[in-house]
Amino acid sequence: MNIVACVKQVPDTEAQIKVKGDGSGIEEGGIKWVMNPYDEFGVEEALKLKEKLGGDVTIVSVGPARAMETVRTALAMGAEKGILIDDPALYNADAYATAEALAAAIKGIPYDIIFCGQRAIDDDSAQVGAILAELLGIPQVTFVTKLEIDGTAVKATRPIEGASVVVATSRPCVITATKGLNEPRYASLPGIMKAKKKPVDMKKAADLGVSGAAKAKVVKFAPPPARPPGKIICADDTPEGKAAELAKLLREEAKVI
Amino acid sequence: MSNGLVNMRDQSFVLYEQIGIQKLFEKEQFADYSEDVVEMMRNEAEKMAVNVIVPTYAEGDKEGCHIDKDGQVRVPRCYHDAYKKFCQGGWLAPTKSPEVGGQGTPVVVASSCSEMFSAANFAFIMYPGLTLGAAGLIERFGTEELKNKYMYKMYSGEWGGTMCLTEPGAGSDVGALKTTAKRLPDGRYLITGTKSFISSGDQDLTPNIIHPVLARIEGDPPGTGGISIFIVPKYRVNDDGGIGEFNDVRVGNVEHKMGIKGSSTCTLNFGDEGKCIGELLGNERQGIRIMFHMMNEARLEVGVQGLGHASAALEHAVQYAKERIQSVPVWDMKNPDAKAVPIIMHPDVRRDLLWMKAYVEGIRAMNLFTAYCIDMAKVGDTPEERAKYQGFVELLTPVCKAYSSDMACLVTSKAIDVYGGYGYCQEYPVEQYMRDCKISCLYEGTNGIQALDLVGRKLGMNKGANVMNMMGEIDATIKKAKSHGDLAKYAAKLEEAYFAVVDLTMAFAALGKSSGFLIPILNASPYLDIFGDMLLGHFLLQGASIAREKLDGIFAARGADSIGKKRALVHTDPDVAFYEGKIAAAKFFAIEVLTSVKSKCEAIKLGEKTPIEMAIESFAA
Repeated sequence: MNIVACVKQVPDTEAQIKVKGDGSGIEEGGIKWVMNPYDEFGVEEALKLKEKLGGDVTIVSVGPARAMETVRTALAMGAEKGILIDDPALYNADAYATAEALAAAIKGIPYDIIFCGQRAIDDDSAQVGAILAELLGIPQVTFVTKLEIDGTAVKATRPIEGASVVVATSRPCVITATKGLNEPRYASLPGIMKAKKKPVDMKKAADLGVSGAAKAKVVKFAPPPARPPGKIICADDTPEGKAAELAKLLREEAKVI
Repeated sequence: MSNGLVNMRDQSFVLYEQIGIQKLFEKEQFADYSEDVVEMMRNEAEKMAVNVIVPTYAEGDKEGCHIDKDGQVRVPRCYHDAYKKFCQGGWLAPTKSPEVGGQGTPVVVASSCSEMFSAANFAFIMYPGLTLGAAGLIERFGTEELKNKYMYKMYSGEWGGTMCLTEPGAGSDVGALKTTAKRLPDGRYLITGTKSFISSGDQDLTPNIIHPVLARIEGDPPGTGGISIFIVPKYRVNDDGGIGEFNDVRVGNVEHKMGIKGSSTCTLNFGDEGKCIGELLGNERQGIRIMFHMMNEARLEVGVQGLGHASAALEHAVQYAKERIQSVPVWDMKNPDAKAVPIIMHPDVRRDLLWMKAYVEGIRAMNLFTAYCIDMAKVGDTPEERAKYQGFVELLTPVCKAYSSDMACLVTSKAIDVYGGYGYCQEYPVEQYMRDCKISCLYEGTNGIQALDLVGRKLGMNKGANVMNMMGEIDATIKKAKSHGDLAKYAAKLEEAYFAVVDLTMAFAALGKSSGFLIPILNASPYLDIFGDMLLGHFLLQGASIAREKLDGIFAARGADSIGKKRALVHTDPDVAFYEGKIAAAKFFAIEVLTSVKSKCEAIKLGEKTPIEMAIESFAA
């Protein structure tokens, strides 16, 4: 089975993000970069599938040179080979341009199933997996928490409000992974040593016939406005009094009821 | 953002900018290594430490170890899953060669990972740590049969290991041991005796435990020269490698300790029923020599343990001091409208934090440098180079072990001071750091023994060449720091300490040959402290000179040509903040600590012998 897992390198969730003075992006100095945590679920599922059904796992990523570290991490977890699409034309790619580059790279290799994270924790757009499936003309199931594969039949469970649905489809397809699907493994020391010798194919936008042109235009990066201080309700020291005051504030100030 | 354990930026600095471990990657033995690989290792080690090991820290301390009715020791339940993941990750024996299950990792790289694991939970790390040491002995001195039977399963973590040296009446004086070995017709031995304080002596993480046991073969002479070492499994091993019958190794007791409660410390009774069989490791009467082969690395590992605790205590204290709001600042005391500020704003707290930082970073550099010397002693280009680094290992090992652990205890204590009364409460982790850290002063040879090793054996080794080589390194640091204008004043303090220590060392050498030999012995511990102070001054100032150069480069690149512009960068550029911190720690240490080295040396040279001259009756009622 030919399994593909797409990964993105993102700032660590603990990183303190500072916006550049001119609003053109974020300050990258001092940031620790990690594999997007949702992509880790995808990589883990890909590896589990390989261990169960045989075959190999190819990691595909769009990003600058530093993203190689993330590709190698996935190889150290157990994937066989990688493709890194590193081109300045794609450094400001939006979800569409990223998906387009991924699709072009994946078209060039055999694939039976493709894993993505349900979204990246940096821009939170949650679109790449879906657009990728459309560009490849294959089915997609997003936000998957459980996956069963039997021959070409695919059964994927995804949560909906207060319940979950099981979607039946067939492979090849795109699965976007979310928390609950599995517990991603740690790259082992022998895995790290082996990863160094695994092949990673470097691609430029031109090799893939994509321009990297974004459909969305980034006007400016700005930090969210500082949160106003909270309010402690103490007008009347009885529960009834406090409830009445709360109801009043919710209606008149917050205007939510 | 701190991981709460280790300042990864400082660790990178020590590895790449100060020691320059890149030099190792050029050696054939480490050709598979590169900065990328090491970074990936450190990343994964950090994840393992933070996500897998830290969650066992407080829980393992509360649950502790106990003996079940069946005589089996149970370790904290949460250790089981963590142990499995740790071994699966290949972290038990990274420095060993791939043929035996390791990855041929440089010791210095493995030590940097060890620092994270130690900081996360040393009690937990002792299980794989003891196994590594015991398997290492079998690898080095065992027959092929012993290796096949035990070593591979130990390096993979499938079976555990220990080191059975201490007895109720034989600890520091190992020659007094009473455990006996009786030759059997088939060449094996019947072992009888009791060993105490055996770390990982029994546990339920692994189905078998392999004990290297020091014992005297019947008829062999008394003292250390008559001791042999035996491999004694908890369960005998069948010819097919499977676990066979019980080998008559019973747990007498599990100690209730001040700290590292998750680590089982056992009294083991060998051969209560006359059925405990051991196999000789190496030759007869070579037991002590064989055991000492694991000593340097084991002692360095204890230094790294101290480092880990101190580092975690510092990371927690800094974080807490930034968040905890209490009291108005001293310069605003008379302002009735002044607001309380985070306690890091108060001079006393700030000085505590810098004091901690200076020791932690100095100890980190010293321990990692010594680990690097272990590597260079193996892969250096010439016999002279290898001998020089081996000399550093011999000289620095007792200092790494004793100074790191002693100072780490003080650092963890200082962390409690920063937390105030909360630090004394179990709700916060720092009190456990202090309790867990104390053992590092005691085992693998008490710090008193380390001081005697330094003064009695290591100073004079190679006719003093090891000391002279180290002094050469320090001299280079002084010269370089003097060339950086603002560091010259602090370099002068190191120079003063350096001359005083050289002078005292020569005085010791002269006394050693005369009737005054009691003076060096009586003052071995303060000598080790002073020697450590000087070494830390050296490592900190060496780091500061590098930081100075890096800062000048950044300032030039960023066009920061005025004091104002340079200061502004501290708040926006994390590298500038880091390098300024390196310089601050070195300056502080030079003034706070190095200035008293000379007077301490002078005091020892006065030759006072009061502690041995006074009568025992005069000590207490």
